Amino acid sequence: MKRAVPLMIVLVGGILMIIQYFIPHQISQDVKDNYTIWIPIITAFALVLGVGSLTRLHGHKVRNRAPNWPYSLAVLLPLYLVPIFGLLLPASMAGGRDAPSVFHFAFMHIQVPIQSTMFSLLAFYIASAAFRAFRAKSMLATILLLTAVVVMMGQVPIGELLGSWFPRVGLWIIDFPNNAAKRAIGLGVGFGILATQLKIIFGVERNWLGGAGD
Amino acid sequence: MKENIWSRMLNLDRRWIFLLIGVVCTVPFFVPFGLPVLPTKNVISIFDYVETLGPENAIFVSFDFDPGTDPENMPMAVAITRHAFARNIPVFFTANAPLAQGMLEAGFTYVTNPNIAGYFHIVSWQEWAPYREQGITRRDRLQAAWEADGNVLPENASGWVFEGRDFAKLGYLPAFALVIMGMTSSIEAQYPEDMNGNPLAQMPMLQEHKNLRDVDLAATFSGSAACMWWVLYAGDTISLPIAFGVTAVSATDYTMYIQSGQLVGQMGGLRGAAEYEVLLQEAGYFEHPDRAFIGMDVQNAAHLLILFFIILGNIAYFAGGFHKKGALLKGRR
Repeated sequence: MKRAVPLMIVLVGGILMIIQYFIPHQISQDVKDNYTIWIPIITAFALVLGVGSLTRLHGHKVRNRAPNWPYSLAVLLPLYLVPIFGLLLPASMAGGRDAPSVFHFAFMHIQVPIQSTMFSLLAFYIASAAFRAFRAKSMLATILLLTAVVVMMGQVPIGELLGSWFPRVGLWIIDFPNNAAKRAIGLGVGFGILATQLKIIFGVERNWLGGAGD
Repeated sequence: MKENIWSRMLNLDRRWIFLLIGVVCTVPFFVPFGLPVLPTKNVISIFDYVETLGPENAIFVSFDFDPGTDPENMPMAVAITRHAFARNIPVFFTANAPLAQGMLEAGFTYVTNPNIAGYFHIVSWQEWAPYREQGITRRDRLQAAWEADGNVLPENASGWVFEGRDFAKLGYLPAFALVIMGMTSSIEAQYPEDMNGNPLAQMPMLQEHKNLRDVDLAATFSGSAACMWWVLYAGDTISLPIAFGVTAVSATDYTMYIQSGQLVGQMGGLRGAAEYEVLLQEAGYFEHPDRAFIGMDVQNAAHLLILFFIILGNIAYFAGGFHKKGALLKGRR
């Protein structure tokens, strides 16, 4: 029963949505609309489950003073404090989501700088990697190196100053050899997704059940 | 390995590289080069498409990125928003993630910030309620009535934007791919209220554009594959024209969708945003380009430095004879 019911739901739901896609009728639209309303509701339950699981895991580490337990505290405090400030407390107590609330401050002055900093570190690592790894060791490595240089210089105005052919050749590389390879990979991935989804719908692939009913 | 100048160069402490990158990323802010940015066809096609739209049309501007890619994605979203506002095109603003909603707020605040020249002055939903009650909702009549009542546009502003007539901030909803799918039938069913709690059903722009089939463009700005949701669930299903604004590293992933006609065009990285800013300036909408254009100086300097490092690394590699010895190749094939 534990296996049969989920498998049946997936089978019926999956086939229904495939058929629905090809029928431009109001009933078919209504089915789709109902599905799109259900899914966020189900997702909300998953969110509760996820937050509960995260709390249990990190709460356990904090209680037992496990190695690096302060990091667990750093997960739990914002997890609960930010929603409390953002959703529950009134503006008079620095609550709410608009400036100058704690929620707004936490987002604009903690979250934004942290994430921007993490991403901007790429510039430093790319420069270091370019110096150490981009070597013309072989024919293929040389082709890769030259392609990278042309595309890179074609992307910036200074490349156009160094040689007007940089952007033209760079764009040609992106539009033709790059797209040809991307399309081939994309088609392969697409067929792979299709095959996997059909296997799930028809119950051939059952890993998603997580061992239920064994 | 015998120590010589070439081996020392190859083993250069990476902290020197980091320092140089730090310097070249900082100096252009103080000493701008201002090199010209020539717009490319993929950006011009978006600009030209928006040029064909007006107050009777509507577009979606979707902030589908988080703070990590803010420096690249934000100028694009700001540029197209300013373009739409300048042409009085109604704009629905959405976000695909909770953090993206914060980016939406930040972008919208930038476009409507009175301290920034060329900003758009907001008239809130409540402020123009009396005009709605008189049945004045058409864009040109509304502005005429508003100004006839003694409201004067501030000197440094580019124009008025009426909430519910010129823009609606819809914001983030969970499972955003499904939200897009749902909006192909009804925008209001997905968003009964906007981010400020105003009823969408009463907004003139929603009454004229009830679902994505009534919308003329969705511009998605993303640092991930989330932008593809718009193609999959709106572009391919109901033929909604889609424009992308993506990070430079992922720009090459999506050019094939331009070739296939699934995208109107694409802004790739900071360069794409700078090109759009230049087009806005050339068309006379704004006097100066914005932040992306300034940022291009940093990119110029950083790209030149990386090119220098590549050349230097290869000179050291060959001049030092390391290509013959095979020592550096060991275990790398």
